[in-house]
Amino acid sequence: MKKTGKKILVIDDDKKHLISVKEILESEGHYVYTHDQAFGSTALAKTLTPDLILLDVNMPGLSGDGLSKIMRAHSDIRDIPIVFYSSNDEDSLREMVRFHQVKGYICKGDIYGLREKVALYLNP
Amino acid sequence: MEILQAESPSVGKLITSSECATPYTSVQRIADNFFNSAHLDAVALVEGREPIGLVTRPKLLFTLFKRFGFELYGRKPVITIADIEPLTIHEDERLDVAIDKALDRPAEDIYDEIIVVDDDGYYKGLISVKHMVIQQSNALANSMVQKEIAETRIEELENIEKIKSQFIANVTHELRSPVNAIIGLAELMKMSCEKGYIDQVKDRLTLIMSGATHLRAIITNILDLSKIEAGKMEIIYENFDLMRIVREVAETTKVLLGAKPVAVTVNSEMQSLQIVSDPVKIKQILTNLMGNAAKFTDRGKIMLSVAESDDKLNIRVTDTGIGIRKEDMERLFTAFSQVGDAATKRHEGTGLGLTITKNLLDMLGGDIALNSEFGQGTTFEVTLPIKNNNLNA
Repeated sequence: MKKTGKKILVIDDDKKHLISVKEILESEGHYVYTHDQAFGSTALAKTLTPDLILLDVNMPGLSGDGLSKIMRAHSDIRDIPIVFYSSNDEDSLREMVRFHQVKGYICKGDIYGLREKVALYLNP
Repeated sequence: MEILQAESPSVGKLITSSECATPYTSVQRIADNFFNSAHLDAVALVEGREPIGLVTRPKLLFTLFKRFGFELYGRKPVITIADIEPLTIHEDERLDVAIDKALDRPAEDIYDEIIVVDDDGYYKGLISVKHMVIQQSNALANSMVQKEIAETRIEELENIEKIKSQFIANVTHELRSPVNAIIGLAELMKMSCEKGYIDQVKDRLTLIMSGATHLRAIITNILDLSKIEAGKMEIIYENFDLMRIVREVAETTKVLLGAKPVAVTVNSEMQSLQIVSDPVKIKQILTNLMGNAAKFTDRGKIMLSVAESDDKLNIRVTDTGIGIRKEDMERLFTAFSQVGDAATKRHEGTGLGLTITKNLLDMLGGDIALNSEFGQGTTFEVTLPIKNNNLNA
């Protein structure tokens, strides 16, 4: 597999989703790092400085949209594109994207969309 | 709560007196009546059965007490000094309309009694303006109370509507998330097959099965609750061995716990216990309680104990999990209570399990109680009536 050299950080509290998204995106040649809670993810993003952050929305303690706001407030990771990756209703995701400084959204379960959109967001 | 529209009674129901006299009665006679009866305020003048005039106390006295009043009018028929065009209203007229008509009169006539007539224009009685106004203000106060009740109800309905839509948002996510997990894992399996990594397939199948099992449990809960709410849930009594179900549920719980360091034990002196109840519902109740224990316990143990007393069966599920806050205990058995903000919910699930458990126990004539220390663990205690071991219905 030819490596793209791009780093992706995936934050999701559901480990089943982390397993599949990691392997699917790795098979596309990306480096994939996973984290299973909102807590500690800002620090991780600062250390890793990934090229893209995939963010689950429904997470205990702090939701993905709340976390995206916090990340946007840190100057050193402010410019890393964030994409919501969620099982929520597509309309509500679209709405959420409008109100947060994030690049877009990917619906969980849309494997084709996952591969395509990640490639698109990495090479705009 | 049953009457919600403001009511305005008809005037016929508010008649205060039925005093009347012929138009030819002498003024003196009518004056005597007024003098003798302090409560008499007016007399209708009726010819045949039709009202043709009205004499009120203040107007008659005013006339008589003028200079030479008695001398001039005392012996004359009362009709000569009466109001011959008094306000006359049909008995079915609404109170508010009648008041409008009364107040529309010239200032000096405003307090004059109103004559009430029936369909044929026949005299029914008198009604005082004072009385009408009191009635109207009561009706108004009443309608304000009812408006308040109605507004409270609207608020309640809006609240229910809000909870419902929160629930739908939550359930949508709860249903979609495991399906998407299964799709993702299936994709991984496909990739394994394409690469020829057959040994990976088995692990992935296990994950898919656990995802599908989880999804089935959610769907079952949603369908069961609608069945209970529609009154379609049926209890079918059978003779069966409770301990066999207890052991089976304990085994399933171990699977649910996966790699968590939690020991599951069954604590009972009995190897077998024949009871008469609905085994499907009993298993569902135990699965719900043990499933909760597994979900909320990260280390320690979960104990399922069964004891028999005189006429009751006690089943306890004790865990060393996160426990339940006192303030959360009350709403625990209420449907959708886990529904808060779906986006930051701590644990997956629809929040329907305990509601269903409680409903099923009610149907079986049993009960459920809980004891919990936040941070220490929780004990749910189910009580079931023991029926005769032999099923002869």
